[in-house]
Amino acid sequence: MYGGGNTFEGIKTDSIAQEDPVKLAEFEARIERGEKIEPTDWMPALYRKQLIRMIEQHAHSEIIGALPEGTWITRAPGFKRKISLMAKVQDEVGHGQLLYSAAETLGKTREQMIDDLISGKSKYSNIFNYPAFTWADSCFISWLVDAGAIVNQLANAKGSYGPYCRALDRICAEESFHLKYGHHCVIYLATGTQKQREMFQEAINRWWKPMMHFFGPSDKISAHTEVLMRWKVKMSSNDDMRNQFLDMYVPKIWELGFTIPDENLKKNPDTGRWDYTEPDWEEFKRVINGDGPCNKERLEVRRIAEERGKWVRQALKKAQTKYTVPLA
Amino acid sequence: MNEPALKELLYKIADDQLILGHRNSEWTGFGPLLEEDIAFSSMAQDKVGQSHALYQMLETLGEKDPDTVAFMRNADQFHNCIMVELPNGEYDFSLIRHFLYDTAEAIRFEMLSESSYQPLADISKKIRAELRYHTLHANTWVKQLGSATEESISRLQRSLEQVMPYALGMFEESPYEKELIGDKIFGGEQALKERWMKKVEAIIAQTQLQLPDWKTIQPVMGGRAGKHSEYLQPLLDEMSEVFKIDPTAEW
Amino acid sequence: MNSLDPRVNRLPLVGTPGEISPKAPLDQLGTFEVFVQPKEGKPFQHEGIVHAPDVEMAFVLAKETFTRRFMCFSLYVCDTRNVYVSPLTDGATNAYDLIRDSVNSGSEKTSFEIYHLPRRGKQHVHAGTVQAGSPEEAMAEAKQKFKSDKTIYNVWAIRTSDIRFTSAEEKDLWLTLPEKKFRDASDYKGGDKLKEFLERNNA
Repeated sequence: MYGGGNTFEGIKTDSIAQEDPVKLAEFEARIERGEKIEPTDWMPALYRKQLIRMIEQHAHSEIIGALPEGTWITRAPGFKRKISLMAKVQDEVGHGQLLYSAAETLGKTREQMIDDLISGKSKYSNIFNYPAFTWADSCFISWLVDAGAIVNQLANAKGSYGPYCRALDRICAEESFHLKYGHHCVIYLATGTQKQREMFQEAINRWWKPMMHFFGPSDKISAHTEVLMRWKVKMSSNDDMRNQFLDMYVPKIWELGFTIPDENLKKNPDTGRWDYTEPDWEEFKRVINGDGPCNKERLEVRRIAEERGKWVRQALKKAQTKYTVPLA
Repeated sequence: MNEPALKELLYKIADDQLILGHRNSEWTGFGPLLEEDIAFSSMAQDKVGQSHALYQMLETLGEKDPDTVAFMRNADQFHNCIMVELPNGEYDFSLIRHFLYDTAEAIRFEMLSESSYQPLADISKKIRAELRYHTLHANTWVKQLGSATEESISRLQRSLEQVMPYALGMFEESPYEKELIGDKIFGGEQALKERWMKKVEAIIAQTQLQLPDWKTIQPVMGGRAGKHSEYLQPLLDEMSEVFKIDPTAEW
Repeated sequence: MNSLDPRVNRLPLVGTPGEISPKAPLDQLGTFEVFVQPKEGKPFQHEGIVHAPDVEMAFVLAKETFTRRFMCFSLYVCDTRNVYVSPLTDGATNAYDLIRDSVNSGSEKTSFEIYHLPRRGKQHVHAGTVQAGSPEEAMAEAKQKFKSDKTIYNVWAIRTSDIRFTSAEEKDLWLTLPEKKFRDASDYKGGDKLKEFLERNNA
């Protein structure tokens, strides 16, 4: 689950001038033809760096993303929900595994990436720094945060890097289960008792702000990313993705009789796009940089998991096997 | 057919699977490596799924629906062995419990696949196939960690000694033992235990772990009769927290 | 920690918050490539990798990482270092054109599994088996046997004896997979409930 919100801040393009112009032209022509780049191909240093950064952030967002929903894994109501939520959170871990592997093909080991996550050097989706207070919050995440992630991931699956595209194809197929499961949970809350409806309305009220942040700062204030668009690393602008999400899901939320806590939210008949109150991008930055309600807990849980698993990984280390970069 | 005997048998197996599945699911997202996180979660899902199928069978015998049975009973109404309700501890504890438990379950369902109660025989064949992975997983891990570093060997050894008295509690006999055997519903806890001991010995022999002397172990019983440790009721309260907001609601 | 997640509240306190305790520079394990046969008679496909200490453990970990949903008939794994890789080409060149026509290794022949990349961005697919004394010879044999008009972008050769296969008695590992519908979107049909709700509200 990843919205691509904070990947491309302030990139420096100076290094492109140092690249071999012939190879660079070939590389760009290949992308222009719609062919994928594979790990053994020549690629500009900036391409490699930005891809590692993006795929790594995506992978972190999966394993950290497993935590807010995991809050309810031992308390899911009834057999059906219990097994489904277990499978859903498991998938998030699985997505992390696939994405770390894709990033590894670019030369950074999984261990280095996880170390960078725990030390705070590497980021993940800001939305997972918010708490899941009730069962309904976990339903909001399963349905709407996953829906947002799908908008971003479907776009990225058309990107230029082969291993990332392969991982995303697999992930998107699994996300269709998440989305349906999440919507199913919400339909049951919406059509259930007064208490159930209230639970979900409160979840929307809590999660709408982080949801609007999910796709990243508005295009007006985002760093310029033309070269990354040309190289098909970044596939869609933040505002376009946000708009697409609103287009698809606001009507579905309203249909269930819930309200959205933004009085300015409406589709503009002139532009065909959604108007909304501009999200507080200062808060977004604060949360990304560590000052959200759950940043500390999320990283601490991950650190403890790594720390507790260390003796296992050390025991598994054998002289005859060696870390190797994955092939594809 | 002796219905009370059959129900007692189904309840204890289903309760074992549910409670251990629940415990193992607590590892999801916290595992020692990502691939193992995924594997452990799958097995937890299998167990909860298997318990659901057995509760459904109980429903056909006149018991309440699976959700009510699983989410509304109190600890003293559960028939699981105490071993499965113990907190997860560190990974060595969870792994050793998984190994000792699934080795027994694989044999149990093999025996039950010949049960005179046909629905149970049928479902046991399926569960056996699922358990084939659980035992492959457990055996592979115990062999790896049981012969690796000083730390991994001593951790597993300590857990083995700690869990073993509870593991023997799995074979606490039911009041209907004779009837179950006589009616060929189930071959009995004693027969299961003997086969289990041989299997456990065979795997442990491939490691640097030492099995405690069977004769010196004092089994921890009581679970089958509803007498549990202090850990079960809080587990059940947590599991049913949302369900009990409104047990008549559809979630 | 004071968390909303009861599991987190039960976590033991280890190490120092915010600090990674010192460790060997790389506790990464080996890398193993995973291949899955979705259905009997269909070719194996490359699905990805797992990290594991040996091929046996890789098999155990690959099973749930890659075959917990959809169809699976068989699975195998091998150490990444045992996959021999041809040059990767672009649209204009067939990878087989960069492989020699014949190689005589002079060594005793064993079997190799040959994989093709049919398009950039796609997965490697099993093309067949050849007998050869070395990986180079296997590539040349594969060229004789499997080269066609269709452009292949990359060829892999794996010594069959380096693979950990699914054994005959392990085939029922996936027996109940089709019943695990809870992992599939089709198991979550809320349409009727939603329709009824909307009709009630609009009435």
